[in-house]
Amino acid sequence: MLPLTLLKTAQSHPMLVELKNGETYNGHLVSCDSWMNINLRDVICTSKDGDRFWRMPECYVRGSTIKYLRIPDEVIDMVKDDAQAKARMRSEMNKGRVGAGSQNQNVRGQLRPRYKNTPQNGLKSGSRGPINRPLSQAGVNKTRK
Amino acid sequence: MDDLNPLAGTAHLLEEVDKKLMVLLRDGRTLIGYLRSVDQFANLVLHRTIERIHVGNDYGDIPRGVFIIRGENVVLLGEIDREKESKLPLKEISVDEILDAQRREQEQRQEKHRLISKALKERGLAVNTDIINEDFC
Repeated sequence: MLPLTLLKTAQSHPMLVELKNGETYNGHLVSCDSWMNINLRDVICTSKDGDRFWRMPECYVRGSTIKYLRIPDEVIDMVKDDAQAKARMRSEMNKGRVGAGSQNQNVRGQLRPRYKNTPQNGLKSGSRGPINRPLSQAGVNKTRK
Repeated sequence: MDDLNPLAGTAHLLEEVDKKLMVLLRDGRTLIGYLRSVDQFANLVLHRTIERIHVGNDYGDIPRGVFIIRGENVVLLGEIDREKESKLPLKEISVDEILDAQRREQEQRQEKHRLISKALKERGLAVNTDIINEDFC
């Protein structure tokens, strides 16, 4: 998975950003883009020498000023699980096409991704019921002419 | 012979994926971790990273987790030779000790710089610290 894609999946996770001038910003990632510009919330900024602190509800950091970002281990585990689950799915599906249809029964249990508590499209993880899914995902019949 | 493989003799960062690497940053930091992914800017994702601080013949490791390093801040990186790693001629000490040692070395360096600029000033030359590049090896 590309570094910027990993950053995108780390949205809403806490992280540490060190800038080229040595300042560190600790906060939760709100959003990022292809230039590595990031938006953080609940930020604590520490000066280079570690002697001065600022606290701010949100901040925007231009990508070109970033030295590196440190993200929690759980993000990469989440990505690894996701990649493994997809690879398993793909190989099981290929097997199922050649062999009997019964093999697909085993696959269903593994189809669900193993990571928990990742909000999708701004929804909280607990509210994945039919009412809260966007219509496009619910498979609503589109009107045909 | 070379038209068989025009890329012969070149290196790709993709070949270094999942290897244990040492990465040197422009600010002088040394990070050791497993490379997980790369992109066209040579941005790196390092997993199970430790920051190794060297002072003289001593070194100390600080575990740091996952790094996404912006490519322009990297000086070089290299694969860690496992055999050589187990036979290091250096001594590992605790994190607190190495940080103390690093601080003392930094103070010595600043003191030396102060004396040199003072001597130069007495001779009519000025050292402007603002223009000194922070990048060092």
